[in-house]
Amino acid sequence: MKVLKRLLIAIVMVFFLGGFSSSSADKLDDVIKAGVLNCGVVADFPPMGYFDKDNKPVGFDCDYCLDLAGAMGVKANIINLTWGDRIPSLISGKTDVVIGSTSDTLERAKSVGFTYPYFVFKFQVISKKSSGIKKFDDLKNIKVGAALGTTYETEYFKYADAKGWGRSNYTSFKSENDAYLGLYQGKIDVLISTNTNIATKLATKEFKDYEAGPFVPNYDDVVGIIAKRNEVAWIDYLNLFLVHQIRDGNLDKRYKKHFGTPAPSELIQSLRDNK
Amino acid sequence: MGDYQFHWLVVQQALPQMLKGAWVTLHVSLLSMLLGIIIAVFLALGKMSERKAVKIISNIWIEAARNTPVLFQIYMAYFGLGALNIHLSPYLSVLSALVFFNAGYLAETFRGGFQSIPPTQLAASRSLGMTRLKAYRYVILPQMFRRVYHPMTNQFVWSILLSSLGILVGMNDLSGETQRLQSLSYRTLEFFIVAAVMYYVMTKTILLLSGWVSKKMFTGDIS
Repeated sequence: MKVLKRLLIAIVMVFFLGGFSSSSADKLDDVIKAGVLNCGVVADFPPMGYFDKDNKPVGFDCDYCLDLAGAMGVKANIINLTWGDRIPSLISGKTDVVIGSTSDTLERAKSVGFTYPYFVFKFQVISKKSSGIKKFDDLKNIKVGAALGTTYETEYFKYADAKGWGRSNYTSFKSENDAYLGLYQGKIDVLISTNTNIATKLATKEFKDYEAGPFVPNYDDVVGIIAKRNEVAWIDYLNLFLVHQIRDGNLDKRYKKHFGTPAPSELIQSLRDNK
Repeated sequence: MGDYQFHWLVVQQALPQMLKGAWVTLHVSLLSMLLGIIIAVFLALGKMSERKAVKIISNIWIEAARNTPVLFQIYMAYFGLGALNIHLSPYLSVLSALVFFNAGYLAETFRGGFQSIPPTQLAASRSLGMTRLKAYRYVILPQMFRRVYHPMTNQFVWSILLSSLGILVGMNDLSGETQRLQSLSYRTLEFFIVAAVMYYVMTKTILLLSGWVSKKMFTGDIS
């Protein structure tokens, strides 16, 4: 019995010390000590994240993961996520940081920690050239779709509800890819997506009969990097990293690589202004 | 881990929308069950039939439904048929996939039920002058349904749980609504916990109800 008691005390102490030491180190320490940055991306959203020929995730967001790991002097472990996996992956500790084009709404910021913005998108409509859509109000009586749980879905609902369009013409899709498949098959007449993704899709031969249409009115999609909300020092580090991406010219380099043109000056200015 | 703070208010505000989703879940599973039962009777009889063509068709249906993932069946109904320019709404895709699935599974259950009834009963009914249809209607089917009653309730519970796969094709069921609502606030854990409780309440209620019904209906007999 004595032996058992000592063993029990030993176990309890190990737990106590273990718990104690792990709570005093923060995420920044953890990543440096581990030598690996577990970086989540959404590889369903070209050119920010997508799979290359060898089925490896690549894209603007992935390059930002590599830049971040490079800056910290650790190895990058890129983890592919769906839109819905982003927060659970942070909370369960599967990822240390998610660079996944996450719109920085105040509602979400109650649950998760956002950095300064690192990119700004426009929401846009893609449809067949023959559809003759000129302005956003032309969407009133046709079949509209978007990927489930995205900010452009929310923005469309806001607009449609305000105009009293109802939701019977609307279809949501589990992923961005499925949404484009739905458009291609003719399940919907128009798809709402981001200007960057639409530009990538229009360059493929499947979508040669399609065109980019009007933007979703009055909305810029400003996105940030996300981490666990209580990791304040870690988020500070990430903010400084973003400042350096602009200052050291990495933003421009990455933009050129994935969009073919230098980063627009208004994008850089609005990121500098944090808006 | 261990430092998660729960925010319940946002879930409470979204409760009406979740309940609306739960209604769609109940709706699609109940309908898929009813249609599935009707088709399953014919499939079970078809599989036992002497006629080759009928037997082959029933066999293909049962084999395909039982040995492929439901997820795949739903995808086929939505995007598979979509490639052939047949466009079902998300609701209809999930409904037809679940009917296909339920019918296949129930057919095998029903076949067991039919085979547990001695063939002499059919012969006896026929010799009393009943038509084949009447013999099935009044003698065979009531006994068969009594014997497969419990496996049937299990299948119903399965339908409810599997209808959550409707999220794949954008159905606005409980899972779909939950997914959408959690993406607005990122209170994933809270929304999923509440959704899980709702699923539990639905399936448990059905099991309790069916137990009560079976007690009332099947007095003093097997089952």
